[in-house]
Parts: sequence; C-alpha cells; structure tokens
Amino acid sequence: MNSGINNIGRGSKEDRWREAPRVNLRRVAAALAFGVALVFCWRAAEIRPTVLFAPGTSVALWVFIRGLFPPDLSLDFLRIVGAAIIRTAALAIAGTTLAITIGLPLGVLSTPTLWQRGVLLAGEPPGPGKLAVAWFSRSCRALLGFLRAVPDLIWGLLFVVAVGLGPLAGVLALAVSYGGLLGRVYADVFEDVDSRALEALHAAGATRTQVFLRAIWPQAKPSTVAYTLYLLECCARSASVLGFIGAGGIGYEINLSMRLFEYGQVLTLILALVALVASTDFFSRYWRRRLHANAPAGSLAYQNIENERSFRNHAGRRTRAMVIVLIAAVATSFYLTGFFTSTRAGLLSRIVRFAGEMFPPELDPVFLRSLAVPLIQTIGISVMGTLTGIAIGAVLSLPATTTLVFAGEDEAGSRSLLGRAARAFVYYATRLALNVLRSIPELVWALMCILVVGLGQFGGTLAVGLHTGGVLGKLYAETLEEVPARPVEALRATGAQPLQILLWGIWPQARPTLVSYTVLRWEMNLRVSTVLGLVGGGGLGQAIYNNIQLGFYSRITTIVAIIYVLVIMTDWLGDRLRNRRTAI
Amino acid sequence: MIYSLKDITKKYQSRNGPVRALDRLTFDVQPFERVALLGPSGAGKTTLFRLLNATLRPTSGKLSFDGNDVGAMSSRELRQMRTRIGTIYQQHQLVPSLSAFENTLCGKLGSWSLFETVRNAARPTKRDTEQTIAALEAVGLADKQHARADELSGGQQQRLTIARVLMQDPDVILADEPFASLDPALTETIASLLLELVQNGKRTLVATMHDVDLALRYYPRVVALRNARILFDKAPSDVSREDLDTLYGDDSGPDVELRVDPDIQEPPREFRHKQHRAR
Repeated sequence: MNSGINNIGRGSKEDRWREAPRVNLRRVAAALAFGVALVFCWRAAEIRPTVLFAPGTSVALWVFIRGLFPPDLSLDFLRIVGAAIIRTAALAIAGTTLAITIGLPLGVLSTPTLWQRGVLLAGEPPGPGKLAVAWFSRSCRALLGFLRAVPDLIWGLLFVVAVGLGPLAGVLALAVSYGGLLGRVYADVFEDVDSRALEALHAAGATRTQVFLRAIWPQAKPSTVAYTLYLLECCARSASVLGFIGAGGIGYEINLSMRLFEYGQVLTLILALVALVASTDFFSRYWRRRLHANAPAGSLAYQNIENERSFRNHAGRRTRAMVIVLIAAVATSFYLTGFFTSTRAGLLSRIVRFAGEMFPPELDPVFLRSLAVPLIQTIGISVMGTLTGIAIGAVLSLPATTTLVFAGEDEAGSRSLLGRAARAFVYYATRLALNVLRSIPELVWALMCILVVGLGQFGGTLAVGLHTGGVLGKLYAETLEEVPARPVEALRATGAQPLQILLWGIWPQARPTLVSYTVLRWEMNLRVSTVLGLVGGGGLGQAIYNNIQLGFYSRITTIVAIIYVLVIMTDWLGDRLRNRRTAI
Repeated sequence: MIYSLKDITKKYQSRNGPVRALDRLTFDVQPFERVALLGPSGAGKTTLFRLLNATLRPTSGKLSFDGNDVGAMSSRELRQMRTRIGTIYQQHQLVPSLSAFENTLCGKLGSWSLFETVRNAARPTKRDTEQTIAALEAVGLADKQHARADELSGGQQQRLTIARVLMQDPDVILADEPFASLDPALTETIASLLLELVQNGKRTLVATMHDVDLALRYYPRVVALRNARILFDKAPSDVSREDLDTLYGDDSGPDVELRVDPDIQEPPREFRHKQHRAR
C-alpha cells in the first residue's frame, strides 16, 4: 500500500497543503449585527466599568462590607429570621403543590400526541368532534405559555393588588407562573416518550387513559419527578424574593433591613437564605439521585450512581414514612400561608373587580411611547447581564469540575498529599463561591449593587451578572463532568495535557449543551430584567411599580402584554439559536 | 525490554466486594516484538491495556516501561510515556463531534506545547495539516476528512483511530480488537497496514485478538489470558488444540469482571439530557 506511512508522524517533505479558507459572508454579517446589538445593549444598560474603580465606589463597598460584620445574632432577631424562614418554606411548598395541581391536568390536556396528532389520532374518523378536541388542547397549551411567560414577580404584584398583601398573594403567584412552566414541561416530556409503546397499546384496543397510564407515564416518570423536584428549588428561591413585594417571609425582611441600613441583619438574613436554598437543593438533589433521573448512561456521573444504587435495596420501608411527612408538610404550609383562613367572603368579588379595572388596556400613544426607553433598557440589562454571567461562570466552572481538578487521581501518576489538598481546597472554595452567587436572588444582588454603584441599569446588570455567573458556573461544571468519558480517556492515552484534553476532548462534546444552557438562561434573565426596576435597577419594572401605586390598572395590562410579546419573541429567538448551535 | 510486568494485580471494587481483574501477571515484552493477547471476554485484556498505556494504576506489582518504573513517575513523565504509546481502542473512542481531520490531529496533542495547543485549536499549522491528510490518505479516508466522527461507519471509525496513531508516531502500538468491526476484505487491508507500520517503523505491537487464526498467522508470540491469569505464553507453532480448548472452554469460574469492567457499557449516542432542568 502506502510506503510512506511510517514517516507520517515524523513529517513529510511533499507539499500536500490544501488551502481551504472560506470567508463566509453570512457569518461576517451575523458577527457585524451581533457587534452593533452589543454596542446598543452596552449603552442601554449604562455599563460604566470606570465606576467600579472610582474611589467613591470602593468607599461605599467598604462601608457596606464593614456594616455586614458582625452579623446580628441576637435572640430577638434570630426569632424573626426563624419565622421568616418557615414562612418562606411554607410559601414554596404550598406554591409547588398548587403548581402541580394546575400543571398536571393542563399538561396532560395539552400533550399533542394524546389529543392533536400522531398514532392515537391517525385512525380516528375526521369530523368536528376531533377538530374541537384538538383546538381545545391547543388553547390549553397557549394558556400554559401565557402563564409561564409573565414573570412570577409580576404575577405577585397583580395578586397583591387583587387579594391584598400577605402570603396568599405569593402562593397564588407561584401557583400560576410555575404551574404554567410545569404544565409546559410535562407536556414536552409526555410527548417525547417512545411512541412505539403507544402504538402497540392503541392497536390492542386500549383507551386513551390506559395508553397514558401504561405507555406514557412509565416512560415519563423519572423526568417528570426530577423536574418537579427541581421546581421546588425554583419555588423556594422565588418565594424568598416575593417577600419584596409584600408576600412576607425572608425577602420582606431583607428589604426592610436594607432600607434601615441594618447591614448586620442583612448578613444574617442572607446566610439564612443561602442555608434555605442549599437545603432545598440538597433535598431535591438527593431525591433526584435516588430516582437516578439525571445522568446519561455511560457518563462518569452515571458510574458513581451505579455504585450508589447497589446500597439502596432497603429503601421501600422508608417510603411510607416519607409520604406521611410530605402530607403533613403540605398541610402545614397551606395553613401557615393562610390559604384556608383568608378565603373570606368578598375576596372573589375583589378579584373580579380588579380584573374588570384592567380592561380595556391603555393604548394612548403618549403612554406607549414612554415605554420605549424602559423596554430597550430591559433588553440591554438582560444581554449585558448574561454576558457578565458567562464570563464569571466560565472562569469559575473550570476549578469546579471534578474531572478536571481531580483528573486521573487514582488512575495513574503519583501525586503528593500536599498537591491533592491544594486541589481539594481550590475545588471546594470555588463550589462555595458558586453556591453563594447562585443562592442570592437577583433582586437581593440588585439592592446591594445599587448601594455600591448607584441607582440605574448598571446596578441591575451587575446583579443579573452575579447571579447568572453562579448558575451558569454550576451548570457548566456539571456539563463538563458528564461528557462521555471514552474519547477523553483516548486523548489522555496519547499523552495530552489537561488543557489539551479540555480543548480537544471535553469542549467539543459539551459545546451544544453549554450553548443551550446559556441561551435558556438569557431567556430567564429577560424575565428577571423586567422586574429589577421594582428595587431601582432600571427597565420596565419601574413603570409597573409606579402605575400600580397610582392605580392605573389598565396601563398594567398594556405593560404585561408587552412583556408577554417580548418573552415570546425571546423564546423564539432562543429556540433558533439553540437549533443552530452547531454553527456558533 | 520495552515492558516488564512483575506480579501485576488489579482489583476493582464491586458491589460483591473486590474483584480481581488481573492476578499476579508476570511477563516481558521485547522491543519490536509482536504479541497477540488471546482470551475470552472478561479475562482482563482491556484492563491490561489500560495498565500498559498508563491510564490505570495497578493495585500491586511493578510495571516498567523502557526500563523505568511506571509507579514512580510524575504526571509529566507519565504524559511523556503516553506519547510514546499509541492505543487503538476497541470502541474507537473518537470525539464524536469533531471531524475526521480534527480527530486525527488529536494524535499530535502530546507533542504540542501550550502555545501550539491554543494556536492549533484555532487553525493547525501547515506541517500538521499535511501530516494529518497524509495519515488519512494512508487509511483511505482522505475524502472523509470533513465528516464528523459520529457520521462514519464502524469500519471507517476503526481506520480513523489508526490514522490518529499514525499521527502520534509512537514506539509501541496497543491495539484492542483492531479487526473487530471490519469485514474480511478490510481486515486484510488493515492487518497489512498495521504490520507494515510495525515492521518498517521498528515498533512494538501488542494486540488483543478474538480471531485465533489471525493471531496465529500474524504474530510470532501469543499470550493467553484466562480468569485474570496467564494461561500460556508461547509461539504459535507450539499452541495446541488442547490449549485453545482450555482457553475458551465453558468451565470457567465466575465471570464477574463482565459486570464490573466500566468498559462494557456502550457510550451514549447523544448528550441532551437535562435540557429541561435549566429552563
């Protein structure tokens, strides 16, 4: 065959260089458009890096940090913190329960494979009945989309006006916005199951209920349960923020202490919040791992689960006790949030009256024009905040990735105890930093950033960036860890260094997932950016707050509609970005 | 001596307690030797391979490479050692989303400095490009250089791993079932390619084989593993019918390694779990 093969790796003299430089016009245009958009966003978000290094800033930062210490640990205050924590947890649990109650039926109703198209419907006679069912299913899906598109805090504001201040408004806000999210995810999961099982049962004469129970649910169960548990984490975080707008709990206390300049109390409250979020995370992760719904087969993470799974043969005994505890927790939560007591007469008529005042929406051109600037600010904050978050997350994710930090520790190579300890320190320190960044909600970050850099969009951008950095850093690290291990091992066997393995083995495999997470996060940040104005972070939130205070409810309808359209457009753009991810 | 193994034992932790994948293996491999490893599945061949390319540490025993004790090497020395060993994996272990060209280029990673790594990630040098294309031509994949690795057929992926080893230009080639996913015609081609690579290039070859005839035909030395131990170690002419019957007989002990060996699972096709989680 080829006589020269033994010289290939040693370099050959023949000139076989094939020039293939392709200047892609579309790519250049896209880069240009991106650049222009970036400049716009930079201006809209009022990014002023110099402010960060101005002497006034460091003084303000120093005053704030010095104020944080020592944390207020007096018994009286701790009692307040404890009550706030319990109220927030109750809010989260009651909200999650109601969200499931709303999301599950609507999710089933809006599953296309059950009602709209596919193997179950193909053999049915066409007619108005079939069309009506399909139409109904589609409108359920649209309803879910609407519930989910409007941010939870805006739902909170609306419910505060409708049912009055207090935890009930918070529960309803969580139920509605997360019910929409949950229903949409359930419908997606139900649709994504292997349809061959559906077809087999359908052909054997099973009813739709039987098909759902026997073919769809068993396949969808792990993802459904895992996502529901994840939702509890989201609700806990959201519940703590809902306090800012009057739902009580820890957010309310943070807001109060910030405004009273009691930074020692703020630190205590933030620590309590971090503990609450961390314990919810732990609980949810523990159960997700038990249900082994997360890791893909063959990944490094999966091998760990394999080992763990063998130790859980005696889990059945504990299940019954867990169910009892769960029911007790849910009942207590509903009681604490005043769900039973405050359903007094007159509430319903109040809601109806409020809803009536929201219509018709205000369409005065002067008012509409006044919304243009906050709208652009909101977009600018979301884009620049996400970019900041990407930078923070990318830097912090590498030392938080076990497969990189502890690469091959027990597989090959002798490593000193000191080296191993240093590695472990870097790893845990980074994980801690990521957890702190992530556990503090954007609104709390916004309060602190505004304190340091002043009111306006820049503070909001920094707040979004810090929180997003924590979230993305953790997701990036997990993605890098869960990359299929075989190609990585092959590269290590060629003698590649860690950086080379990262660039050539891990990055190409992780890239689509990383891009997907980042785009999803940007979509979420857009929602957050619409409410930052509530605390002075710029954007549409300020307009909403003012109009609610002034009782111009018809204007609120207009702003909510604008936010809905904005979110729908972002989701559409995000979907396109994600599907074209290979080109990025 | 290129390899020297003395009392090498490797244990894995499994749910049923520790399992011996390799049990007190002792043998040497001379430079430029061609050794075929035979044995039923689960006999410990893949584990032995991972010990030989230093991606796994033995539980006990002494492994020397080119006169140096592998157990005493630093990370850097281990990397240098690995650049001299080219591995052709059974399941190919290519990076699925990289092109055939890039996967081949990966063979060179060990010889690049940090600067070269970063530069080559953006755009490989002329010299590296030439070499990569020559390697792809040698295995008959030049027309597939822009195809993603996961778009190639099993046989093409196998040839691509050989191209990667060509790029690496190692002193030792470890081949795990190099002909497992090839049709008979391709087997001849690849076998002679491998042979030429080893004989003309003055390289050492250790290959696991499941095809006994092929092993006896091409390799001057045959080492047989069974139940984590060496059953025999002889020239093909001395291998008897009884030897092979014992080797592949049914009366083997518990084949627990099958469940323990992390290499048994298929790699996942794609990587899109958890999409919902971040929503």
